Amino acid sequence: MLVIRPLQQGDLDDLYAMALNAGKGLTTLPADRDLLQRKIDLAQDTFNQRCEPEAGLYLFALEDTEVGRTVGISGIQARVGLDEVFYNYRLSLTVNASRELGVHVRTPTLQLSNDMTDTSEICSLLLASDYKGGGNGLLLSRCRFMYLDEFRKHFSDKVFAEMRGVSDAQGRSPLWDALGSKFFDMEFGEADRLSGLGNKSFIAELMPKYPIYLSMLPESARAVIGQVHENTRPALRMLQAEGFNFNGLVDIFDGGPVVEAFVHNIRTVRESVTRYVLVTQKPVPLEVPPAERVMVSNRSFQDFRVTTLPTPCVGTETVRMSPAVAEVLGVESGDSVRVAPLKEGGRWPGPAGRDGEQEHETRPGRVRRHRSHSSWG
Amino acid sequence: MWLVRPARPDDLQSILEIAGAQGARLSSTLPKQEEALARKIEHSQASFAGANDPELPPRFLFVLEDTRTGTLHGTAGIDSRAGNGQPFYNYRRDALIHASHELGISRRVEVLYPSHGLTDRTLLCSFTTRPERVGTEAFELLSRARMLFIAEHRSWFGSRMVVEIQGVQHENGRVPFWDSLGRHFFNMDFQAADQYSSLLSKTFIAELMPPNPIYVTLLSPEAQAALGQPHRLTVPNLELLQREGFQAGNYLDIFDAGPVLEARTDTLRTLVTSHRKTLHGSHDDSGETCLIAGGEGSGFRCTLARATDTLEGDVRVPVETWHLLEKSAGDTVRMAPL
Repeated sequence: MLVIRPLQQGDLDDLYAMALNAGKGLTTLPADRDLLQRKIDLAQDTFNQRCEPEAGLYLFALEDTEVGRTVGISGIQARVGLDEVFYNYRLSLTVNASRELGVHVRTPTLQLSNDMTDTSEICSLLLASDYKGGGNGLLLSRCRFMYLDEFRKHFSDKVFAEMRGVSDAQGRSPLWDALGSKFFDMEFGEADRLSGLGNKSFIAELMPKYPIYLSMLPESARAVIGQVHENTRPALRMLQAEGFNFNGLVDIFDGGPVVEAFVHNIRTVRESVTRYVLVTQKPVPLEVPPAERVMVSNRSFQDFRVTTLPTPCVGTETVRMSPAVAEVLGVESGDSVRVAPLKEGGRWPGPAGRDGEQEHETRPGRVRRHRSHSSWG
Repeated sequence: MWLVRPARPDDLQSILEIAGAQGARLSSTLPKQEEALARKIEHSQASFAGANDPELPPRFLFVLEDTRTGTLHGTAGIDSRAGNGQPFYNYRRDALIHASHELGISRRVEVLYPSHGLTDRTLLCSFTTRPERVGTEAFELLSRARMLFIAEHRSWFGSRMVVEIQGVQHENGRVPFWDSLGRHFFNMDFQAADQYSSLLSKTFIAELMPPNPIYVTLLSPEAQAALGQPHRLTVPNLELLQREGFQAGNYLDIFDAGPVLEARTDTLRTLVTSHRKTLHGSHDDSGETCLIAGGEGSGFRCTLARATDTLEGDVRVPVETWHLLEKSAGDTVRMAPL
């Protein structure tokens, strides 16, 4: 069984192996044992509320319980830009026009910005290659939205993700070559590594502060601004399906886009419902396609757990689960759990049964229609 | 005999002919359109006559005449206030040090800042001669006659002076700096922009020029190499101005990145070495060739003559020089060594 749980001390070796295999391009999880250990410590402090809520780093592990191995990780940074400065370029437009001459020129411009400061970031997603497919990536990514929803006061109203930008097989980034390298005197990989180590002061020191006129950059560099790396396209599509959109900010090194969404608009959040656990001995076939599965979370802040069950297990008031599943989630019959579809477009009755939410009345028609079909409102 | 005098309306066709022969931009402040040039001459005449409208600061246009044939061989101008009441645009080339203590990296980053810092300085401009005059005594006369005019009318001009020197342009008309920068924003070729800049108000520059500083490292290598470099045809003029005491500073032309020379008016060589003398006749052609200027405002004339000066403040020059200067014995003139 695959289950999401907080990252813990024993995860270091598995994490290190995954980071090694991932290679370059994953700046938030470099293959550096000391750094990974510090992240584990910080995650533990966060879940145990031993650090300031704003400084929290919520890292979740995906564990295969049958082999006792950690096969994936994903995270939420409670706030960015608190003790370091968080940089992006804002892709904006400068228009130069002269009525007298009949000239009207539009120049896209990159403006250095710290606009994401104080915003929660979803980050650090990594799945072992032998576990890709079968909805594992969806679980690893979307479990975070259930957590955000459950503990909204710990996070900002808006959350964002930085998507990896375009680079070639040798790790060369066209934007870096045309822009960053002129100022940083180092290779893209090195700058990326330093940035991943949390060593960001060098960016402020070396980065050009004045706006960059894109018309002065070569076509190869202009073409990749706001574009994602080929390998990141599925992740982008997944976030877009959740309601995330490009917000006009791009990575200062590789030009990858920043996508954002308001927590209350995220699909998983809108469609999630609460149910009571009903532990049953009746066997349930667990091997069903992702579209026919739901995520079930135990709603725990400190020991957050999520696994998946076939959609038919969800009843009007309860979720049926085997003792094994209940044990993995750390729940008993009668406990409250949160349920949301694993995959968009899957069969799902709609967001009924959410506790105490007046806002239902103002929701769009599609959702309200679903509600009127259900017997429990 | 060579004579420098204020331009007159009937000089119009000759000036157009000289200006037209220069191709693009030997001096963007000398219009190649008849109407604009006529206005410029008219304004110059009023300025020589002492008009000083705060909205329309004085601008002077001189011509170089071969008095034997009556033909013109060049023009030279002074704008009493660069920008002529509007902003005067340049790039100021400056540097920032981007240093990371932690990484042990320190790097000099060159930046071009848009600047109006030279606005209202006195500007030497519109300097053009027929090609065969370049580098001759007449060439020097035409350029330096302006300094003598300034010396005689010192209160009309500022304490600091500037000259824009044309920048690098290829034979085929391409201007590397323009192609790397201005073209993207003005959406026109260099020749068009240059013409507009001499014809229209400068508003279009404010409207179209990028308002933010430009990182030099993002320019094409060819454009970077052209920064502050003079066009090869301007070198004789550049050297003459350097001997006069002008120096290239941090300012560049916004279109072609040619150097802008700067100087303090009162330290210019012609101003320091010229003296007022009382005019007397001489019968022979002895003595050193000097610049001699006489007359105020519209009556200003400047020529070259063999002259012998005395410690008593007299200068002896041939009588024909008197006629050129429209002066006679006992009048005051200003002279400077060539």
